[in-house]
Amino acid sequence: MTHSLHRRGSLESLAEDYVLLATAAAGVNHHGSKDKLRKILELVYEAGPANIGSYDTGTVFAGVSIEEIKAALAEVPRVRCCFSSKEKMLQVLKGIKELDLGISITVSGLIDEVLDMACQLDIKPHSINLSLGVWGKTEELPPEEILEFVTMCGHGLISKDLVAKAIADVKAGKKTPRQAAELVAHPCVCGIYNPDRAEKILAKYAPQEKPVPQVG
Amino acid sequence: MQIDQEKCSGCGICIPYCPARAITMQDKKAQVDREACLECGNCARSLVVRCPKGAFFEEPGLYEGARAARKFFSDPMTTHAITRIPGRGTEEVKTNDVTGRVRQGEIGIAIEVGRPCSGASMEQIQKITKALAANGVVFEEHNPLTHLMSDRTTGTIAESYMSEKVVSAIIEFADKAERLPFLLELIKNIAKDLDTVFSLDLITCFAEDGSIPVMPILTQLGICPMPNAKINLGLGRPLAPATRGGGN
Repeated sequence: MTHSLHRRGSLESLAEDYVLLATAAAGVNHHGSKDKLRKILELVYEAGPANIGSYDTGTVFAGVSIEEIKAALAEVPRVRCCFSSKEKMLQVLKGIKELDLGISITVSGLIDEVLDMACQLDIKPHSINLSLGVWGKTEELPPEEILEFVTMCGHGLISKDLVAKAIADVKAGKKTPRQAAELVAHPCVCGIYNPDRAEKILAKYAPQEKPVPQVG
Repeated sequence: MQIDQEKCSGCGICIPYCPARAITMQDKKAQVDREACLECGNCARSLVVRCPKGAFFEEPGLYEGARAARKFFSDPMTTHAITRIPGRGTEEVKTNDVTGRVRQGEIGIAIEVGRPCSGASMEQIQKITKALAANGVVFEEHNPLTHLMSDRTTGTIAESYMSEKVVSAIIEFADKAERLPFLLELIKNIAKDLDTVFSLDLITCFAEDGSIPVMPILTQLGICPMPNAKINLGLGRPLAPATRGGGN
């Protein structure tokens, strides 16, 4: 899931995209942490995440329920989800801070926005993983409009061909931007792909509605 | 992954889902190119592709040989046995507040080889690990890639894995902060000869005043980080000592 820091897009689009990871550390504090992670899951679900999933079950967009995600937490449990609004993200972080569970929390998003949230909640951030971009044979990468989608999956499971198909389906009027955004959501089993953000990006490909002729 | 040819109806629904483009239609049936397949498991998941005939199945013995590396590094629904972590098998900054993997005065570097979209062969990964090892890099113990090495001091991947390919694998290490300019120059030179891409992560602890200590160095080097990042909020307990000497 290192990849949540490599999401690409405009500042405007990234400002509506926050990935929350709650992670028990293997061998440090993972023993007996499942109930703590379940409490975090409840907070997340109440706030209304854009997506939520798990390595063990898949995501809500693939038809998995929050109860199934809670029940299937692994030996070293973790919560993976994303939000489309800073306000909701802030609400969840406030709740997590109040619970004081001792579980490591990371938020991926625009640095200034995440630090502002920490400041509002009187949280002193510990460390940061910065993205220095993509290096190597970059000339063979797909175009930016594809990369905006594929980099929203933490494990590279959203294929460039599926994104191209989604864009083509929207252009052809076969799918609405929302339908196409949800189709692309399925392979990202952890649930950090943001379908709200994807829907907004896809909307620009939708055929313009023809003006209704005036009668009389 | 394999496809039961008796079951396959040739509908082709699975083809666009494959990140490795390993599925093609031949004689009106979907076929998996075994060499290209990275064993990510996408195609076989009933909640993802939803193959109407349930025609996909895992190759018998997949978890017993070197090919298992494809599965463990490409399929996040498996868990690395050594680190007990799914996905790419490493926690990097995610739990740094309690593990102290990267502390004050240090930097952490994670090189995710193959991301985005390109995939990575062990040969390409080894090109990087060998060049890093030759320059004094010590690879992260709690990262599954380190455990594929037959010699960590030279960055040599065990011969048995050399024909394998993965969606991506993360080369990870911590070092002294003062080595950052040298290491980035080294990585820049390694990148010139690669046949794939990598996404580059730089991990650092916040300074006491809340600033990001590597920023002036990056500015000096002409490197501008992306405006987004992953931030560990420091809510984990027990907190690891801030320095290797144990100071807070």
